[in-house]
Amino acid sequence: MRVLTHCLSFGKPRSLIGLWLGLTGLLTAIALLSLLYGAGDVGPARAWQALQNLGTAASYDSEARFVTAELRAPRLWIGLVVGAALGIAGALLQAVTRNPLAEPGLLGVSAGAAFAVTLAILWGADAATLRVSVAQLGALGGCLCVLAAARLQGIGNDPVRLILAGAILSGLLHSLSSLILLYDQYTADEIRFWVVGSLAGRQLDDLVPLFPSLAVAALLTVILARPLAALALGEHVAIGLGHHPRIVRLLVIVVVALLVGGATAAAGPIAFVGLVVPFAARALAGPDIRRTLWLCLPLGPIVVVSADIVSRLVVPPSELPLGVLTALIGAPVLIGVVRGRRLPTL
Amino acid sequence: MTSPIDAPSSVRQDKYYLALPLGQRSPLRVIVDKRNLLVNLLLLGLLILLAGISLNTGSAASLSLPATLRALFGEGDPLDIFVIRDLRLPRVVAGIATGGAFALAGCLMQTVARNRLATPGIVGLDNGATAFAVASVVGTGISLAPPAMALTGAAVAAALTFGLTGRIGVRGYRFLVAGIGVGAVFGAITQLMLTRVSIDAANAAYPWTVGSLNARPDHAVLSLSLALLPALLAGIWLTRSLTVLRLSDAVAIGLGIAAGRCRMAALSVAVILPGLAVAVAGPVGMVALIGPEFARQLSARNTVPVLGATLAGAVVMVAADLLGRVLLAPIEIPVGIVTALIGSPLLLWILLNPNARTTP
Repeated sequence: MRVLTHCLSFGKPRSLIGLWLGLTGLLTAIALLSLLYGAGDVGPARAWQALQNLGTAASYDSEARFVTAELRAPRLWIGLVVGAALGIAGALLQAVTRNPLAEPGLLGVSAGAAFAVTLAILWGADAATLRVSVAQLGALGGCLCVLAAARLQGIGNDPVRLILAGAILSGLLHSLSSLILLYDQYTADEIRFWVVGSLAGRQLDDLVPLFPSLAVAALLTVILARPLAALALGEHVAIGLGHHPRIVRLLVIVVVALLVGGATAAAGPIAFVGLVVPFAARALAGPDIRRTLWLCLPLGPIVVVSADIVSRLVVPPSELPLGVLTALIGAPVLIGVVRGRRLPTL
Repeated sequence: MTSPIDAPSSVRQDKYYLALPLGQRSPLRVIVDKRNLLVNLLLLGLLILLAGISLNTGSAASLSLPATLRALFGEGDPLDIFVIRDLRLPRVVAGIATGGAFALAGCLMQTVARNRLATPGIVGLDNGATAFAVASVVGTGISLAPPAMALTGAAVAAALTFGLTGRIGVRGYRFLVAGIGVGAVFGAITQLMLTRVSIDAANAAYPWTVGSLNARPDHAVLSLSLALLPALLAGIWLTRSLTVLRLSDAVAIGLGIAAGRCRMAALSVAVILPGLAVAVAGPVGMVALIGPEFARQLSARNTVPVLGATLAGAVVMVAADLLGRVLLAPIEIPVGIVTALIGSPLLLWILLNPNARTTP
């Protein structure tokens, strides 16, 4: 086992703990910024005052207090959870398809979750709790499509074709969702603001139904990290080391579905986070999935929360959908990866 | 310009007609494939039939077919004449023009890229054109008309995609994924502009974002129709070179075809047409896949069915619009959604079926 650990820790000889602490510090700073800045009237000075007086009962600036504690704080929490979930889901999906471009949003996993939620609302479901499990089921469907396509002859070895298929599947599901929204005004009103992908207007209560599934996903990720690292060396090596590739793959898909479905239920479909975050993590920590996963934990929230801050500041009185910003960040990364002379493989 | 099949004797008389429009001794010789001629006539008939049904179908008043025809030629009840000539006819015309334009562009781009999936929509042109058209509609201080802006957008997107991934003639899928990235950026920009403007301006720009024949600004239809005819002629003129260019550059150059110039010409047409068509109907890019595919299935093998693809695209567009109006009436499904629902499975099948040919 020690030999394996040694073999797997090749790449950049940077201290993981140092990196992790640095990124977590950065995340803390960004989180603070996200509480201080916003699209409305409450500026950083007032927000800072309100934060300092949060503990004391008598607050003289009730507006600033309301904005920071009731509007910006829930947004920050959801951003943290969604970012971590999407980043880790991206890393896992890329490891299991062995494809550096495999991104849940691009491959149709998020679109599957969104489509399932649209269907569920059309058929009369409206509870927030149901939305999470339905989205996770939809994401599972999307994941299975991806896995099936990846195992088709010729596709598995060609990262780019898989992405193309995923993009087309996303488009198809998106048009089906649009069709439903057009057909059913009630559904349209119910999810119009959810379907664009945004952190705005979410409450902390929206997070509660997510926690059981996220806990399961976190536990499974911890268990699966080692078999996945072995799987990166090839199927035979993994079997030789006593792992069961099929079971591992299946479990990883379940984890991805739980994470992406949960994130989509909370914030709507957000693309490209699952591409940018593992990409940055690999650049910092090397290809070992265990190191990558650790770094995805702070990096995902960093990307999502800072994108959310920018989305509030670009067009001051109004806000941008978060999905727009992540696309603006992520698409150049996608193009950059594709342009590379040699496509990196995992 | 000597033909690779120069002597009439080498043309198999049972498969081709040899037309000599300028007399027996003229250098202009046109070889017409019998099967393609038949297919084109068939598609033309289908198009006329569908256009007739489309004119006759609608929520306003149920007209009998003879009454529709009379109204079309300006006779009968003034109300009927208004419904047919002022409401439904422009819609059908816009459908034919946009469908034809998208499909012609798709056929040319697929042939040049040697890839069945390389349609203007996938490469990001539609989204680029949409973003620029929306910019001019929501008024960001640019005072160009939507067609011109859409054209610029298409050109910019094409330049980005092909510029970022090198030459287009390269086999493989990378430039398609780069195109998806470029398209995503322009889609995000469109969204960004729509969130910034008032709800009225956003509603005015809505057709551009889904693809619908509802808006169809008259000047955009006019400029598209004016461009479509020369583009079609250019496409037909290029057919012979493109047929050879499908094989490889070496073969084409050996047969005396200027590969680079031919590719440039075809690509220009394939960028201009979607740009103008988007200004009319928004991004209905799937027609650019379905039309040529449909035409290729019917046409003789190893030909580039330029005219057939154009006609098939018009057929698909008019049929999809008709379907969208009839299926969930009184709700109207935008034609962009109908074509996406038909086109996406087709695209997936081409991509995932290991036995499907990826070259057109």
